[in-house]
Amino acid sequence: MKYRVKHTTQYDYSEPVTFCHNKANLTPPDLPSQRCEMNRVEIRPAPSVSIQRKDYFGNTVTFFSMHEPHRKLTVTSHSLVEVRDPGPVDPAATPPWESVRDNLRTNRSHELLHAYQFVFDSSYVRLTSALGEYAAASFPPGLPILAGALDLMARIHGEFEYNPEATDIATPLETVLAQRKGVCQDFAHLQIACFRSLGLAARYVSGYLRTIPPPGRPRLVGADASHAWLSVFVPGAGWIDLDPTNNRICGSDHITLSSGRDYDEVSPIRGVILGGGLQAMSVSVDVAEA
Amino acid sequence: MGTAPTSQSDSSSPGLPAVDWKTDGAYDELYESAGTLRPHWRPLLDGIGRIGVAEFTDRWDEARRQLEDNGVTYNVYGDQRGTSRPWQLDPLPMLIPAAEWSRIEEGLSQRARLLELILQDLYGEQRLLKDNVLPPEIVFANPSFLRPCFGIDLPGRRWLQLYSCDLGRSPDGSWWVVADRTQSPSGSGYALENRIVISRAFQDIFRDCRVHRLASYFKTLRESLQALAPAHRDTPRVVLLTPGPFNETYFEHSYLARYLGFTLVEGADLTVRDNAVYLKTLEGLQPVDVILRRLDDTFCDPLELRGDSLLGVPGLVQAAQAGKVAIANALGTGLVETPALKPFLPALCQHLLGESLKLPSVATWWCGQEEALRYVLDHLGELVIKPAFPQAERGPVFGDRLSAAALAELADAIRARPFNYVAQESINLSAAPVWANGRLEPRHFAFRSHLVGTGADDYSVMPGGLTRVTASWDTLVVSMREGGGSKDTWILSETPVAPVSLLPPPGEALTLRRAGRDLPSRIADNLFWLGRYTARAEEVTRLLRGTLIRLTDETGQELRSELPVLVGAIRGLLDGTAPSPFAVPADKPEALETYVSHAIFDADGPTSLKGLLDALRQGAWTVRDRISVDSWRILNRLDHDLAPPRPGDEAPWGEVLIFLNEMIVHLAAFSGMAMESMTRAHGWRFLEMGRRLERASATASLLRCALVTVHDPEDPILSGVLEVADSSMTYRSRYMNVLQAVPLLDLLLVDESNPRSVAFQLALLSEHVDHLPRDEQQSARSTEQRLALDLLTRLRLADMTTLAQAGRPGSRHIRRAKLDVFLRDISEGLLALSDAVTQNYFSHSRPARQLTQRRIETLTTYASPDSL
Repeated sequence: MKYRVKHTTQYDYSEPVTFCHNKANLTPPDLPSQRCEMNRVEIRPAPSVSIQRKDYFGNTVTFFSMHEPHRKLTVTSHSLVEVRDPGPVDPAATPPWESVRDNLRTNRSHELLHAYQFVFDSSYVRLTSALGEYAAASFPPGLPILAGALDLMARIHGEFEYNPEATDIATPLETVLAQRKGVCQDFAHLQIACFRSLGLAARYVSGYLRTIPPPGRPRLVGADASHAWLSVFVPGAGWIDLDPTNNRICGSDHITLSSGRDYDEVSPIRGVILGGGLQAMSVSVDVAEA
Repeated sequence: MGTAPTSQSDSSSPGLPAVDWKTDGAYDELYESAGTLRPHWRPLLDGIGRIGVAEFTDRWDEARRQLEDNGVTYNVYGDQRGTSRPWQLDPLPMLIPAAEWSRIEEGLSQRARLLELILQDLYGEQRLLKDNVLPPEIVFANPSFLRPCFGIDLPGRRWLQLYSCDLGRSPDGSWWVVADRTQSPSGSGYALENRIVISRAFQDIFRDCRVHRLASYFKTLRESLQALAPAHRDTPRVVLLTPGPFNETYFEHSYLARYLGFTLVEGADLTVRDNAVYLKTLEGLQPVDVILRRLDDTFCDPLELRGDSLLGVPGLVQAAQAGKVAIANALGTGLVETPALKPFLPALCQHLLGESLKLPSVATWWCGQEEALRYVLDHLGELVIKPAFPQAERGPVFGDRLSAAALAELADAIRARPFNYVAQESINLSAAPVWANGRLEPRHFAFRSHLVGTGADDYSVMPGGLTRVTASWDTLVVSMREGGGSKDTWILSETPVAPVSLLPPPGEALTLRRAGRDLPSRIADNLFWLGRYTARAEEVTRLLRGTLIRLTDETGQELRSELPVLVGAIRGLLDGTAPSPFAVPADKPEALETYVSHAIFDADGPTSLKGLLDALRQGAWTVRDRISVDSWRILNRLDHDLAPPRPGDEAPWGEVLIFLNEMIVHLAAFSGMAMESMTRAHGWRFLEMGRRLERASATASLLRCALVTVHDPEDPILSGVLEVADSSMTYRSRYMNVLQAVPLLDLLLVDESNPRSVAFQLALLSEHVDHLPRDEQQSARSTEQRLALDLLTRLRLADMTTLAQAGRPGSRHIRRAKLDVFLRDISEGLLALSDAVTQNYFSHSRPARQLTQRRIETLTTYASPDSL
């Protein structure tokens, strides 16, 4: 499936911003099941400096600064991305979750060592005993890892209410867990925390969903903005993407933009401004079949 | 190791101080065995014996005064008045003999090389993890592993340009590393200040003891930092980045910046443009080549590191990645401070250097390993438990102080996330002598060493360092925060020591420099306000003195008619209200005296003299490195013992009057010092402009308060004004004892030869604004030039006889309406001038938002929500 993606972020300020420094994660990567054929990040007004570099996780990051006063900043990313459904994985055929945990701890192969860094706390994912208890219910001894992961995802989907009013970026996971409400970002962080509490590796993925569903299929939640889900490491199968907001293994409807330990490392745009007064931000995402 | 006799003099040396000595099993630094000194202490103690205890004490008292005068402090965070905790220094240096030192030195530089190689690997190939030499948790679970700094191609390829290490000595006499300091090590400046104080106070003893000098270390430090510059190799600009005056070691930042000749800057003084770092100065942006940072890693860049920190420089990581600026130490070096690394250092040393580790670390178990975890759980009650990763906000826990229940809880927490914990043995640190009331007493001590990277993968060790001692013998916690003290550290040489100086050798041609081109705008702003506060304090003090003299003269008579005028002028200066005489209610004659007491002692903000002095000292703190040591001494003397009189005092204002008289002298001394010792660079001009603006407006305000309403008789008022304005003598020499408004106005308003007149201030202001840096392209006068010239011209053209004319003759309240309008316009013009200077020089945000705001810049960090 091939998509044309247009992702626009606009900031309006009540007073001029005299300079700003920004970091944008707006370039889709090439992955085993994804190929980015084209990407262009347009910035208005034209930045004084703009360069791209790969970050620690391999994401292409655009750094740009403006040194002239401006009252409006618009960043638009245009991409042409081909996504292939990675195909089904039989959960029963995946290894027991304890063996995955032990393997991560002891195996120093390139693949496992790389995965191991997604086992530990990060800015937005801090473990608590309540999170550990919540996770444990889905992972009885000896259960194949993917079977447990799917059960956990189904529980989150079933027990948590999708509610954009309930949380913001700063809401800690304990609160999300206690109030059983949140948005895709919270559900992704929550399931990541559950995996990590068991010593399993999970990472955060930001990306897009196709806007218009295939004929006869429901429109997915999160399709009109950027979306977030997570990826769990399963030896033998690699990273498997799970979308707890929609309770499904990601296929060709999910377009990956970037991945890291949590939202903090992959937020689409992050910046520091001088001046500006009040600011208003609007985001629009358009994903069309190409 | 032995225990010396207690409470007796060493009988072999008659002039020696008494000792009160015990070591309780700790290594004894002073005695080899009972009554036998370790030989390397002999020259020092003989030296003290030679001058005698009395002389030693005298010299030490003098040196302590010097320390206080120099304002050497260690700030304690969270302490409101914490900017003034004095530095604790013991007169007895710690001594380390030559042979022992050379072993320590080798161990230190080996350790620095090792940590450097570890950093290079972990921020690059990570072979240590792949080859299973180091458990990956120590890196991956560590918040000090800064992924944005991964793979930076460093200028000079060195991560660890500076390295410090805390050493202690265990009961068997061997040295152990207690902690590694790798991101922005502090202490070298305090070590230097300690050395300067001690070597001056005990010059003769110091010379006889053959002590290695510290200057060579600082010379190497300066040269090696300059050598890091990626560009401008001939004249690199090096800045010292400080978190600001409230940081605990701010004294050291400003001290080192001055000693090394680097510009002291805060994050807001720097800006990243085109991936390079610039210093915001009065003359525009100046490129910065090297940053010596005293900010912790994560605070350095709100864009890529901690988003909630506004101490850093947005875009700094990107500038480092682009190779446009060198940072010492490189961002990310905090990684190897983790105590979890310590158990692996012996193996890492073999692996990376092919050598065995020369300086062992204090016994440390990282609970991420099963064997270590078992040991720790079995011995929990004897160990010190710490977070494995220093950023975790938990302090050390001493197992022997925990209840059984608390121990069980701790064990559970460790079992749940073992890799987050380390356990260490607590060392019974050795006993060093301190000077306590003329006797020698033991204290536990630890020693902080300092290293700087030199060319070719090597390190140079400071021959000395900062010795810290416990607050008492009964504690093992060595911390300045907890009230511990410090010592100079003498590394003894077996041969005579050649003096080294940071000054260039004779004969070397110096590049001539004129100061002032890189004055940060923030500093100019602070100097301007320092000038204003100093002048305001001086005016208020003079007014208060005049008031108190009149109040104490009172012997049951009516209030003297000039008192409401003087007090009204005080209130105008302190509260910023329009000047008018103080109205004394008929039924509350004590209201005036109550207000005077408030105006002196009330501590809330600068609406009292006390508050003003606090603001003045705070302001001076922010520009410490721009003020001469002597000026600083004067500022330090400003508020000794200012307490309100108690009710029922015989002469309630007597003491206060003495204080005010001293204040006038100190403030005049400070002004004089600035006049005589500051170079006429921009910094001086801003200090001066602040002072001139303040005095002009204070004088205008006093005249308005005193002369607009014509009193009958007017003599006492005119006489009071002349006294406060320090112009009585001049007036009398011109007009004898005939007091009249016209000649007084002439003298205080327009006589440009009188340094107290308004016109005198404006003539100077006009000259200062002409010399400010400005856009050369502009030929027209700047706003501040026009304003100053306009005010000066108005004064020059004014006719005093006209201004002094009073309306409504015969009425009880005769007003000089023209004078009122004239003086009001002058005051408003002065305000506009101050705003123009603020807007054009102190703000780099274009356009400035509000003229009245002092801090116009605000940084905001934002991130786009990823939800929905």
